[in-house]
Amino acid sequence: MGPIALALLALGLNSCQPEETQQLPERNWSLTWSDDFDGAAGAAPDPTKWTYDQGTGENGWGNQELQYYTDRPENVALDGEGNLVITALRETFGGMPFTSARITTKGLFAQRYGRFEARLKTPFGPGLWPAFWMLGDNIDDVSWPQCGEIDIMEMRGQQPNITLGSLHGPGYSGGSSITGSYALENGRFDTEYHLYAVEWFEDRIDFFIDDFLYQRITPEDVTGEWVYDEPFFLLLNVAVGGTFVGFPTSQTPFPQQMIVDYVRVYQ
Amino acid sequence: MKTNYINNLIGTAIAALMVFSVGCERPIDGLEPAQFPVEPNVFIDGFSAGLEYAAFGGSDVSAFEVVDEGAYKGTSVMRFAVPDFDNASGAYAGGAFFVPGGRDLSGFNVLTFWAKASKSANIDILGFGNDLGENRFVTTITNTPVTTNWQKYYIPIPDPSKLTQEKGMFYYSEGPEDGRGYTFWIDEVKFENLGTIAPRGGGIFNGVDSTVTAESGAEFAANAYGLFNLPNGVDMRVEASAAFFEFFSSNPSVASVDANGLVTVGDEGEATITATLAGRAATGSLAVTSTGAPVVPRVAAPTPTEDPADVISIYSNAYTNEPIDFLNGYWEFSTTLSEEIQIAGDDVVRYSQLNFVGIQFTAPTIDISDMTRFHMDIWTPDQTAGASFKILLVDIGPDGTFGGNDDSSHEITLSSPTLQSETWLSIDLPLTSFPGLTGRGNLAQIVLSGDLPNVYVDNIYFYDDGQGGGGPAGGAPEAAAPTPTLPAADVISLFSDAYTDVPVDVFITGWSEASLADTTIAGNAAKIYSDLNFVGIETIANQIDATGMSHFHIDMWTPNATSFGIKLVDAGANGVIEGAGSDDVEHQIDFIAPNQGEWISYDIPLSDFTGLTTRANLAQYILVGQPSGTSKIYIDNMYFHK
Repeated sequence: MGPIALALLALGLNSCQPEETQQLPERNWSLTWSDDFDGAAGAAPDPTKWTYDQGTGENGWGNQELQYYTDRPENVALDGEGNLVITALRETFGGMPFTSARITTKGLFAQRYGRFEARLKTPFGPGLWPAFWMLGDNIDDVSWPQCGEIDIMEMRGQQPNITLGSLHGPGYSGGSSITGSYALENGRFDTEYHLYAVEWFEDRIDFFIDDFLYQRITPEDVTGEWVYDEPFFLLLNVAVGGTFVGFPTSQTPFPQQMIVDYVRVYQ
Repeated sequence: MKTNYINNLIGTAIAALMVFSVGCERPIDGLEPAQFPVEPNVFIDGFSAGLEYAAFGGSDVSAFEVVDEGAYKGTSVMRFAVPDFDNASGAYAGGAFFVPGGRDLSGFNVLTFWAKASKSANIDILGFGNDLGENRFVTTITNTPVTTNWQKYYIPIPDPSKLTQEKGMFYYSEGPEDGRGYTFWIDEVKFENLGTIAPRGGGIFNGVDSTVTAESGAEFAANAYGLFNLPNGVDMRVEASAAFFEFFSSNPSVASVDANGLVTVGDEGEATITATLAGRAATGSLAVTSTGAPVVPRVAAPTPTEDPADVISIYSNAYTNEPIDFLNGYWEFSTTLSEEIQIAGDDVVRYSQLNFVGIQFTAPTIDISDMTRFHMDIWTPDQTAGASFKILLVDIGPDGTFGGNDDSSHEITLSSPTLQSETWLSIDLPLTSFPGLTGRGNLAQIVLSGDLPNVYVDNIYFYDDGQGGGGPAGGAPEAAAPTPTLPAADVISLFSDAYTDVPVDVFITGWSEASLADTTIAGNAAKIYSDLNFVGIETIANQIDATGMSHFHIDMWTPNATSFGIKLVDAGANGVIEGAGSDDVEHQIDFIAPNQGEWISYDIPLSDFTGLTTRANLAQYILVGQPSGTSKIYIDNMYFHK
């Protein structure tokens, strides 16, 4: 994969102005890290690139989430067709009513600045909370939210046509994060692949869906310290329930899958 | 009153009771003749172009109205007034909105509308595709919750590409909630093409991989549903016509399947029926094991030998059969198929896929009061271990209609080892085996059921074996009347084996409305009066002087009489019966609701016959039965005593 160029983009936005076009400066990126998830069906993701967060964390990973994360192939595996599949199941495990998986590059890969992108299909249904995101690699030293968090993609399964991009940092974490949303006026993120990306520079972070810039956050926009000048590592997960998304209902269809075609990082 | 109406609605031709149409003059120049209009709107602020409405049969036809008050949007809204339970003008609200010319809906993927109600309720049926005709692509959601707030509803189209000329735009049916009516409103009904509706596939045969073993010719109909995820992330299942699906058989010569999901079993072998919906594999399948050509009895059933005079036959070559309505009513939920075949020249009914089946004869019903036994020959190729076969006899009573509180029935169950595979079994039972069948004057149905899917049936008849045994509710008492114990010197007997009878002119006069038969019950003579209204017994030639007697005695047994009367007539001193104004005296005593099916000994003081002021010339004894003309009584031990 060589350098790619971003050129003229024409896409619909939730502003109901589908004819709107964006003119972005051309930029050359060179690939620094990627996973195309090639491998046999049922195989675990490449252990040189990914590690697992397992169990329930503290207080449901800080959000009263209901799932128990495992590294079992039922919850996380390649599908043999070039995709990573994270599957949330309705099953009692480790005292929790659901299982799922959360994989990260922590300790294996982190990078400061650049373009971070994933092409994926989301799960859906009330209480499903998939995310493609990053945390500051210094989290063990300075802890969250001082380390900073860049949410490239997260969504509430009861709104399968809306994606959120957010920054969490000191003074603007949790419910007061700096966030923007992108809604498909007549489509859903679970029915087709979409490309989610951030382009992170010293002075700004741009959020893209299908190469359409829908949010730009600069140090002036955040209500606290700008902490995005350290390397960040990547995370992919599907949470079930919790304070952000609400709880699943008896009508929430299970199993639910997040299907990731690739993750790529450029400098 | 929930989903009971589905079967009434679909496929029912219903008169158009209310027809609305909104004039919308479209220029016809330039229209492609084969193209159907692409018009998404059904009801926005009025009927869209060409839309008509018809209320369903049995519904309250005034339930639907367009009103200009309380619209969700715009000026007008559809209001549906669901009637109370037992409402005289209709039991429910229901109807179809249709476009006789058809529309091309293939560019849309969902029917949407807004609805609210005067109270929280679940609407039984909402959908589209009901065109009051072929109903080929019916799509339905059931028990849809509505509240007092406007809410948007979605009914996804299972496969829009099928709807290139759809007539059925919208239909509904709703009964009272807990017996009470209410009102709901529906507005902004239109087809849309929403990317926020995610198809999740469909299912056939309830979404289950099911298996069945059947003979050639058996048929199975696939049911079907579509599954969609709505914009709020919640799945919705819509009941869909199987015609939306493409069906496949892994081996069409063993099991074929048509475009409407009807599976027909063929040659011996195995085949699996699967389907796709809009290109996606459907959940559920039917694995068919065909046992091939039906296993047929090689010999005919034994030929009956009963005297035709003693037989009432429903189905037999040996006798003249009574007229019957049908050998298979194809009742709802019955899977039974039937045909008449010949085995060694003998007609036989072949039932297959039998779960239950009714043989009916109502025009007229059959009176088996004089019969004592039921006979039916059956033959099954199926394994009988653990299986049962049931026979239900149904009498619909004197009113001649089902229901009405005078019906009676009784079901018997046969099982192994009585049931045997591949051999003719002659079921021959006394009617006493059917004690619940308390009426036998209006037999109307024989219902067969059980878990033998293949049963051949022949020689269904009732007969009188001359041994009585018709049982408590049937034609005859099993035991003789109690033997009298009074000394003969104290008795003047007209009819009794216990005494020497005096001469009796006649036990049935010409003017009687009844028929008489002599019979023997357990060796004891008795009189049977059938079709009784009243019967006269006379001793005019040898009139009886009962002035020395204190009681009149008669033993009576009836299977069906609801009233029994005894009238004694004294001819008076002139010894001539002359009627009113003469010296004749008479008195009648009626006994209401006598116990049926048992001997009753009436021992009546003569003083109770208060009008019988003289008793020296007793000449007439009139017995009266109700129901008039159909009651039946057995008589024994008729005498005076002191």
